[in-house]
Amino acid sequence: MRDAYIVQSVRTPGCKQKRGQFNQTRPEELISFILKAAVEKTPNLSPEDLDDVMLGCAFPEGEQGLNLGRIAAKMAGFPDKVSGAVVNRFCASGLEAIALASARVQMGWSEVCIGAGCESMTFVPMGGNVPRPHPEYAKSNPEMYISMGVTAENVATRYNVTREDQDKFAAASQAKAVAARDAGLFTEIVPTPAFKFVKQADGTYKKESFMVEHDDGIRASTVEGLAKLRPVFSAVGSVTAANSSQTTDGAAATIIASKEKCDELGLTPIGRLVSYSTVGCKSDEMGVGPRYAIPKVLEQAGLTIDDIDIYEINEAFASQAIYSIRELGLEKYMDRINIHGGAIALGHPLGCTGAKLTATCLANLKEVKGRYGIVSMCIGGGMGAAAIFERL
Amino acid sequence: MVRKIRKAAVIGSGIMGGGIAALLAGAGVNVLLLDIVPFDLKDEEKNDPAARNRMVKAGLDAALASKPSLFFNKKDAGLISIGNLDDDIEKLSECDWIIEVVVENLGIKRTLFERVAKIRKPGSVVSTNTSGIPLKDICEGFAQEFKEHFMGTHFFNPVRYMHLLELIPGAETLPEILEFIATFGEKNLGKGIVWAKDTPNFVGNRIGIQGIGACMKFMLEDDMSVAEVDALFGPALGRPKTAIFKTTDLVGLDTMAHVAKNSFDLCQDDEQRDTMDLPDFIGKMVEKKMLGNKTQGGFYKTELTPEWKKIRKVLNIKTLEYEDLVRPTFPCLDEAKKKSTLPEKLACVLKGDDKGAKFAWKCVANAFQYAANRVPEIAGTIVEIDNSMKWGYNFEMGPFEAWDAYGVAEAAERMKSEGLNVPANVMAMLDKGVKSFYKLENGIKFFYDFAAGAYKAVPVSKSMVSIAAAKGNSKTVMKNASASLVDIGDDVFCIEFHTKMNAINAEIVDSIGEALAYVDKNGAGLVIGNEAGGMPGAFSAGADLSFVSKLCHDKKYAEIEAFLKKAQDGIQATKYSAFPVVAAPYGMVLGGGCETCLGADKMVAHSELFMGLVEIGVGLLPAGGGCMNLWKKYINALPGKTAKEVDLAKLFIPAFMKIAMAAVSMSAAQAQGNGFLGLADRIVFNRDNLIGEAKKEVLKMVDDGYVPPVKQPLRVMGNAGQGMVTAELFNMLNGKFMSEHDAFLANRIAFVMSGGDVKVGSEVDEDTILKLERDAFVDFCKEEKTVARIDHMLKTGKPLRN
Repeated sequence: MRDAYIVQSVRTPGCKQKRGQFNQTRPEELISFILKAAVEKTPNLSPEDLDDVMLGCAFPEGEQGLNLGRIAAKMAGFPDKVSGAVVNRFCASGLEAIALASARVQMGWSEVCIGAGCESMTFVPMGGNVPRPHPEYAKSNPEMYISMGVTAENVATRYNVTREDQDKFAAASQAKAVAARDAGLFTEIVPTPAFKFVKQADGTYKKESFMVEHDDGIRASTVEGLAKLRPVFSAVGSVTAANSSQTTDGAAATIIASKEKCDELGLTPIGRLVSYSTVGCKSDEMGVGPRYAIPKVLEQAGLTIDDIDIYEINEAFASQAIYSIRELGLEKYMDRINIHGGAIALGHPLGCTGAKLTATCLANLKEVKGRYGIVSMCIGGGMGAAAIFERL
Repeated sequence: MVRKIRKAAVIGSGIMGGGIAALLAGAGVNVLLLDIVPFDLKDEEKNDPAARNRMVKAGLDAALASKPSLFFNKKDAGLISIGNLDDDIEKLSECDWIIEVVVENLGIKRTLFERVAKIRKPGSVVSTNTSGIPLKDICEGFAQEFKEHFMGTHFFNPVRYMHLLELIPGAETLPEILEFIATFGEKNLGKGIVWAKDTPNFVGNRIGIQGIGACMKFMLEDDMSVAEVDALFGPALGRPKTAIFKTTDLVGLDTMAHVAKNSFDLCQDDEQRDTMDLPDFIGKMVEKKMLGNKTQGGFYKTELTPEWKKIRKVLNIKTLEYEDLVRPTFPCLDEAKKKSTLPEKLACVLKGDDKGAKFAWKCVANAFQYAANRVPEIAGTIVEIDNSMKWGYNFEMGPFEAWDAYGVAEAAERMKSEGLNVPANVMAMLDKGVKSFYKLENGIKFFYDFAAGAYKAVPVSKSMVSIAAAKGNSKTVMKNASASLVDIGDDVFCIEFHTKMNAINAEIVDSIGEALAYVDKNGAGLVIGNEAGGMPGAFSAGADLSFVSKLCHDKKYAEIEAFLKKAQDGIQATKYSAFPVVAAPYGMVLGGGCETCLGADKMVAHSELFMGLVEIGVGLLPAGGGCMNLWKKYINALPGKTAKEVDLAKLFIPAFMKIAMAAVSMSAAQAQGNGFLGLADRIVFNRDNLIGEAKKEVLKMVDDGYVPPVKQPLRVMGNAGQGMVTAELFNMLNGKFMSEHDAFLANRIAFVMSGGDVKVGSEVDEDTILKLERDAFVDFCKEEKTVARIDHMLKTGKPLRN
């Protein structure tokens, strides 16, 4: 197999669903911007050099429907020859897209391929516009359609993750994010144009543009403050809006090129995908996914937890993140996990998350001058995914 | 000129001003709500519009936050614009009616009206909501044109819920202004109008406060406790449950003391003036800030134990210490409990010979005297006084009606024998051989007019049709213990339920069928409505549960099925009969009562509407066509053939939730939002006009050439909806938001409402869904947990969550 190198990895800010700054910006606008920006920011690369776009999206319908991979490539101004596809593995969609993009290059099917992710939870809600559980299967196996929040409660009760631990974890995530934002450490973010429809003096409306530079869900919090919130998914539970991930709009892109193309064009490799794993688990405790996916990918790569300098473990819920960290024996490496905060502070734009965390992981590896990083997440329906990246 | 209220101003945004603004907005009027600029603005705030409007903003926010809500619908607040008296007073020139609701201070009111007089447009109405200050003092020296358009409009608190609106003509108010505001108040705002004279505290509060004062005075003489007085002066005497002291806690002791002092100061010649000088304990309580509910303690207080258990405490007025509340009783009250009608209960309490009965008589005799002596001082007739106590104080009977119930002559004799004066006007009436203040003849209610020394007809509004009057005029064409069919004129008939809470039993179901047959043969159309008392009252609280319970325990499932079939046939017949059927719901419209209305061609609903399909609370589902007809209301709201293209889930889930969550509206506006009232249905603000308006609709439909709707199959959500519901119920169940039985019931309700085992978008016959309703109902009746729910409700009146 050929060597496939990452030559660029960037993301838009993550903005809150419905109330955030992207609430009037269509998903096509977010993803086409970040695709274009990724190419423009890569010296010596032009759109003409691209072969394909693999785009992760968890609810590819409505505004994200048809084939957003192709539409986004065209809206980014890429030439007709650049093809595109949508990839769906729910919350791992973006990571799956990057893995597929790498595989295509390694296989020799593409020379330069983008792995990306996009989700506007404002425009297409979680669950999609037209959820239709199968009537009979929903009766016999309702857990196939279980709400994610209930799985988080299940993880908390089955594996004794206390409310206090969840709130502490959430407050820490926010604190890390505040510090990173204030210190300008989110180097993977590209300031992104957003739109809003503004009422004019004559009463008509006009679409106007403005720039968004930061994740807008970051909110300094105290454990005491968070302790006051009521549980959302259970009358007697511990999972609250604040110790769960935020629902978010965002997009991210990673460009992968063959060694040959890098040499030919003069592209600078910044990293590579070492290995990628996915694994299934019980759907009513889908949050345990990383606890199985991470050991699997480490074994595939012949590495141990001690070799990893940066962990980006998606904080879908504090309960499942804490459980996974404990089970993997990672508590000693808390200073390597989500060092700039996680989805509790920065948001979890479903199908974009894998691509977003890849950009963050590579930026953070650079910051700490580390070598290996892991991106991992749990996945609705009962799965986990994990990828190891190496900084070059 | 046809006078209109395009925009109204309310000046003063306290709880009263906010309430009036909310009511006007609910009636569709644009409102300008003004208050003063706060006195304590910091320098940097002096040019900040938000800071300058702080008072009025707080007032509007308080009205929005009020519970029970002063707004029919929070969206109504969009019709209210706010401002302050410094920056926005010019806007008063846009207003057709300006209502002053500021602090009760003559100087402040006069200063305000001087500013208003300069700005208001000529011809606009200006009114004061003062509860006590004489109008003549307020407008003294004002221009003639101002005085001609100036009057008193005295609302009662809480404005939305209290029916009374006292109108006080000024000495020079133009008759057309008075008539216009009376009509607007009655029709648009739904109020009961009482004409009061310009005397201190007008009618309601003058009589009401003296009654409370006298009661307090006598309780000291007779050594009665707070709890004892309240036990006597509750429903047994036709008074609200809050009786004397809980009412005082509700109003606030300071407010009550203020009103009493006003009477005491201004009514120098009042023969009962000493009763308005409230006993010492009131002053001490006000001093100690024991003002009632607003200070979490007045005559009553609720304490919480560390285990969150509520302990009710009551004040000992001798020690001003709280003691545990023990509900007292008297032999007369025990007797009254056994009686079913108010006049019988009243007789038990007032004519008994125990300590409580004697005390009650003493107070009530005093109230009789006081009321009679106030005619014509404060109001022209006894009707105004009775109405003001019924509408402003929630008495079931005013003093003269209660006196009639006792027996006018009998009470007069007893007064004489006890050395009490019988008021001269009453003596004169008795001397003429007239034995009662009211009489009903040929459906017309008459009252005895002291001034004329003869009976006169009680004035009624033109929009009003009274079932009681029609019945009194021998217009009842069919009658049994549970329902009557009454001829309400112009070939329109009204079926009236008259069971307890108007619960629907087998007899009512039969009666509906018979009424339809009768009207088919003899009439032009039918109104389903009644005039049961109470606030909010019950159009129908649902099916007669004891009847269902008995059938469940006896396992008479075939009978249940037959009963449901008959009820459904009746409801379907109302829809498809050859004449229009209009339902006139008000107050509580629950379960089967709601289903009855959903089946009608049209609803004319009172604005106070507590409508919902609440069967799941007793482990059942609507099986009188309720599941089908609610779904039909939803899907039929779609224009043309769009139902074919629309994602039915967007309709199905909310419609299903209304039944699965037993959603009950808190107003007619909310019932619209819940989908129970559709675009064709109407909302009427005045309950007294409900039957008349419903009759009007029937006649209009007849006049327009009524043809019954064509029965067509219904497009349904099918099993796609069941899958969605099943999946979501699993989450709710996991989160312990519902019980296993709730989930079981809800799943089956989804099955029924979605049309059963069919594909999404299928068209299903109405009869199919009705059968699904019956099957599910019978299956539910076989469930132990459902029977437990029914029995628990019958025993405790509260739902069981099992």
